[in-house]
Amino acid sequence: MELYDKIKDGISDIFYIWRKEMHMILHDEGAQLFIFFLCLIYPLLYSFIYNNEIVHEVPVVVVDDSNSSESRKFLRYLDASPDVNIVDYAPNMENAQETLRKQGAYGIVHIPRSFSKNIIKGIQAHISIYCDLSGLLYYKAIYGTCTDVSLKMNKEIKISRLGNTTNRQDEISTAPIEYSDIAIFNPQRGMASFLIPAILILIIQQSLLLCVGLLAGTSRENNQFKDLVPIHRKYRGTLRIVLGKSLAYISIYSLLVAYVLIITPKIFHLIQLASFGTLAAFILPYMLSCIFFAMTVSIFMRNRESCLLIVVFTSVPLLFISGISWPRSNEPTFWKILSYIFPSTFGINGFIRINSMGALLKDVEPEFRMLWIQTGVYFITTCLVYRYQILLSRRHVYNRLKEMKQKIKKEV
Amino acid sequence: MISALKRIWLISIREWKRMVSRPLYIFCMVIAPIFCYIFFTTLMGEGLPNNMPVGVVDMDNTSTSRNIVHNLDAFQMTDIVAQYSNFDDARKAMQQGKIYAFYYIPRHTTEKALASRQPKVSFYTNNAFLIPGSLLWKEMRMMSELASGAVGRASLRAKGFTDKQAAAFLQPIVIDAHPLNNPWLNYSIYLSNTIIPGILMLLIFQMTIYSVGVEQKNNTVKKWFGYADNNIIIALTGKLLPQTFVFFMVTSLYDAYLYGFLHYPCNGGLFPMMLAALLLVVASQAFGLFLYGAIPSMRLAMSSASLWGVLSFSLSGFTFPCMAMHPALQGLAYLFPLRHYFLIYVNQALNGYPMIYAWKSYLMLLIFLALPFFIIKRLKMELMNYKYMP
Repeated sequence: MELYDKIKDGISDIFYIWRKEMHMILHDEGAQLFIFFLCLIYPLLYSFIYNNEIVHEVPVVVVDDSNSSESRKFLRYLDASPDVNIVDYAPNMENAQETLRKQGAYGIVHIPRSFSKNIIKGIQAHISIYCDLSGLLYYKAIYGTCTDVSLKMNKEIKISRLGNTTNRQDEISTAPIEYSDIAIFNPQRGMASFLIPAILILIIQQSLLLCVGLLAGTSRENNQFKDLVPIHRKYRGTLRIVLGKSLAYISIYSLLVAYVLIITPKIFHLIQLASFGTLAAFILPYMLSCIFFAMTVSIFMRNRESCLLIVVFTSVPLLFISGISWPRSNEPTFWKILSYIFPSTFGINGFIRINSMGALLKDVEPEFRMLWIQTGVYFITTCLVYRYQILLSRRHVYNRLKEMKQKIKKEV
Repeated sequence: MISALKRIWLISIREWKRMVSRPLYIFCMVIAPIFCYIFFTTLMGEGLPNNMPVGVVDMDNTSTSRNIVHNLDAFQMTDIVAQYSNFDDARKAMQQGKIYAFYYIPRHTTEKALASRQPKVSFYTNNAFLIPGSLLWKEMRMMSELASGAVGRASLRAKGFTDKQAAAFLQPIVIDAHPLNNPWLNYSIYLSNTIIPGILMLLIFQMTIYSVGVEQKNNTVKKWFGYADNNIIIALTGKLLPQTFVFFMVTSLYDAYLYGFLHYPCNGGLFPMMLAALLLVVASQAFGLFLYGAIPSMRLAMSSASLWGVLSFSLSGFTFPCMAMHPALQGLAYLFPLRHYFLIYVNQALNGYPMIYAWKSYLMLLIFLALPFFIIKRLKMELMNYKYMP
């Protein structure tokens, strides 16, 4: 009977703490900002920035020393391509460089004097391209387009030399083995389709870190002894506090996560191959591990503002350590090990594969398992730090009581 | 009567003592930036990712197809880690994150090639991870051209062409690419040079607001202004100068680390970059102050600063060029100090052009310095009259 009462008591305490925490979150201007602004507006902003996906019409300047029908044909093809735009024909390299310096163009295409002569003589003719490397996408656009155009012209030249009789013969002799390239899972090779899913996942973790950290800082500031846990009848058990608080975060974030991960990509027509069941099953441990991770970290937040200073700048390293940009296969071991600390690492990798690549839950099993392990580990650490905080605040109160008793004794 | 300089000095001493006594200041001003220097440069220390995992589906399994596989494996960035027996297995492996790309050679490829029936090979690159995807695409495409060329060369040789003649016949036009000033296409050079100052800028925004706001929060504004004889310009100068100094030291450290130690391209000399770094520090401080004056709640101001700071990574246009963004965003980009710093870096350090070509960007950073003067009266009123609202 005693056990039954204890459980009943515990559950009622959990719900008391849950209510309290919900009240705190919903009535704290700062928390609202982190939750709603960060989760509701940020994804839209990022999608808006990257929504054009690729760079079109990169400006290049041309130096055509050959000035022949062949070179003009090359340039016509080049200009007609979607990714490159010829903005100027410079008389010499010096002038072209000047355009580059003034940022009028990001690349120079130089066709040498011998170009058409070499083609006619049957010697390899060279075209030089010089690219500004301030952005790799410029280089990719210019180099890729020039290669495409050269392959196209090569084919035409070969055909004219071969003197075949049928079209089929032309095709076979110019490409004995055909090939096709398929950019799978992001067919337009777009920036948004690749970056936004990772950002969405990261936003959830960062928002939780900020929100939980802010609330912890607030509790400390409002507490007489700068302690995290108040002295209150309802706040005496570790498990009650941890479960009650996490329940509050779960109830708020389940809705937000659904918005961030399902609705935002819809608005901007990003790739969404995930089935709802798979996604939900995967996101559950991600959300839980983020919540307990945030709760563990939050004990370091001494006041309301410190979480901003400590959390915000980590977003960029965390994005990189997840392997979304620099491939994970090439990450130095040390950083790979460090990345195991953060739920975002596995969250990002798993989510991209589920959402953008249509993977099933069993395909992301390693990530899924790691997230559950993290949930467990951070749940335990949260309990430990909260246990410690409860003891700490008790000791503070006890000391204060002793002090007061002594004072009274002295006065008496 | 104490002179203004003396007052500034006194406030600076006071601020200095606060800075060295609080772990939060030391963390945000020194430890976090240095961590980022080391993090980004070692994470991408390889420059270009070599030997990324790639799979092969060789249904043909002849000496010719195996030759293609071997040659592909020999490429710098490709590392063939697995052979799959069919297309589905390879796709599954990709979905499991084991490989970034795979090469597919269908049955009878060799046979068809020999009989002039034009077989078709294909390769699949996973562009959900854009960088590995596009780098591997480049190598696999080159491999496919070579494979096609090899067949052509064999038949040309049989007709009595020399190798040189055959090459000229198969590839009449060749593109010679010259990526300027970063011929290795080193990703660390490309990214670290802007990410690191970006993180510094974000931290400067926040620290500026925090260090002013904390006076209000702790009710020490009167004391602080007392040192300055209630002159807000003196008060702020004294307060921010020590931070300017520390942040400038930290940025100089990164100049020394990137350009001196790692030998990243710094073709315009160190002076323009140090000047740019100094301007970045003071422009960011000015912008932080401006935000605090415009949004008088410390936390709201810090949150806006964070928003601005994080957005500047995207809007500075060093990964996704500004020219490809919505026109409204292209205009907005001017309001981000990092955008101007990035343009200076490209102009000076990467390309080594004379400083005159970057004057606009230097000027823009200077203009940021004027921002606090618009809000200084308001800021003073806020600081003197209002209490901290949590």
